[in-house]
Amino acid sequence: MDLDDLYRLLRVSHVQAQDIVDTIRDPLLVLSGDLTVISANPAFYRTFATDRDSTIGRPLYELGNGQWNVAELRLLLENVIPKSASVADYEMKTEFPNVGSRTLLVSAQRLVHPDDGQRVLLLSIVDATVRRQMEAARDFQINELDHRIKNLMSVTQALTRQTSVEGRTAGEYRTALLGRFDALARSLEVASHKQTPQLRDLAAAVMEPYLEAAPAVAIAEGPVVRLSSSQATSLGLILHEMATNAAKHGALSTASGTVALDWKVVSDEVGPTKVHLRWQERGGPRAAAPSRTGFGTRLIRFTTEFELRGHAELSYEPDGFVAKLSFPSQTS
Amino acid sequence: MLTEPAGPRQTQGLRVLVVEDEFLIAIDLQLMLEDVGCTVLGPVGTVDDALRILDETRPDVVSLDLNLRGQSSIPVAEKLRALEIPFIVTSAYRTFDFAGGESLTDVTVIGKPVQPRMLIEALSRTCGA
Repeated sequence: MDLDDLYRLLRVSHVQAQDIVDTIRDPLLVLSGDLTVISANPAFYRTFATDRDSTIGRPLYELGNGQWNVAELRLLLENVIPKSASVADYEMKTEFPNVGSRTLLVSAQRLVHPDDGQRVLLLSIVDATVRRQMEAARDFQINELDHRIKNLMSVTQALTRQTSVEGRTAGEYRTALLGRFDALARSLEVASHKQTPQLRDLAAAVMEPYLEAAPAVAIAEGPVVRLSSSQATSLGLILHEMATNAAKHGALSTASGTVALDWKVVSDEVGPTKVHLRWQERGGPRAAAPSRTGFGTRLIRFTTEFELRGHAELSYEPDGFVAKLSFPSQTS
Repeated sequence: MLTEPAGPRQTQGLRVLVVEDEFLIAIDLQLMLEDVGCTVLGPVGTVDDALRILDETRPDVVSLDLNLRGQSSIPVAEKLRALEIPFIVTSAYRTFDFAGGESLTDVTVIGKPVQPRMLIEALSRTCGA
């Protein structure tokens, strides 16, 4: 029995069988009891870049470069006819000449010819290469997303743990914590939703809660400084710490105080191009170094060195607090 | 023999190298460990920085994040093995099926987010403090 017989048999069953079989995009083979190829459908030739002459009348295990000669598959197939076993979606990954590496799902079923009782084997092959690649890509993305969620939870815990409770009411603690979350969210928004995050956009986003109440905040228009996404996140939190501190103790705690934020890009002959960022408070209460280093100050110093790989100079001058940050620009 | 719960006594003066790339987690780990009397080396956030600091100094124990800015920190684990410096691994990943994973055999893994008590217990247990 070959595929033509199969078509005829199916046609008798009032089914437009040939059309169906020909439109099946998965390769089909009919094999004899000794696993010699009796016939193959067009999809088989197409998928494995082969032809009729190199396929019909040859043992399955000798096709191509012998890719089908897999001991496990052989054992399965040799049981199909004598034991009427079937093989469902046996997965094999193998290299085919002119085709490359493929992941295949092989299924086999015994067929018995109704007229002469001849037993043959119908082998269907599903090329699952693309599907498996997509599944692998999806698993990778899910794993990455899972990783990012856990990282964000860790960051959330870090901020919650390190936001001081000393000398604060629960309400004050909550306000301080939510301020940091808000700054983190604004920074992440700029970092991940802008094609190339820029310093000006980041500063405007993080300072926005302070702009309305204090028109005394002046953010420079330029020059354009592009930030990497990790630079944007860390710098956003640094700016928030300076702003919240100014609102509590510094220039933004009075009606007359001002904050100027500006920056320049400095290239010298040795070393990478650097960004010099200056935060300057004026007209507020006389600045004094805090008696103990709070988390905000530690965060500014640590983050500038650790994440921006730069240097932070914090000074408490009579006129107001001044912070000078110097860090390599992203393109260096 | 009685086993005492990990506490300031076990961790006092312990020199811990923190290898962690996310700055907020790094500073959190540092403050968490300093709170129980450890001396923190680093933190460092890249494979290169971790390898460099190990050339300069010898920590008692290391807390190693497995993924540093998309780079596997297996080279750091291998160096720690070679130097016979005990370490624990912190990771947000569930599985470690990647090349070089054998250098993590029998290493304590702490899932992220890290619980301070678990971290401190694991560190003091790992270095036999």
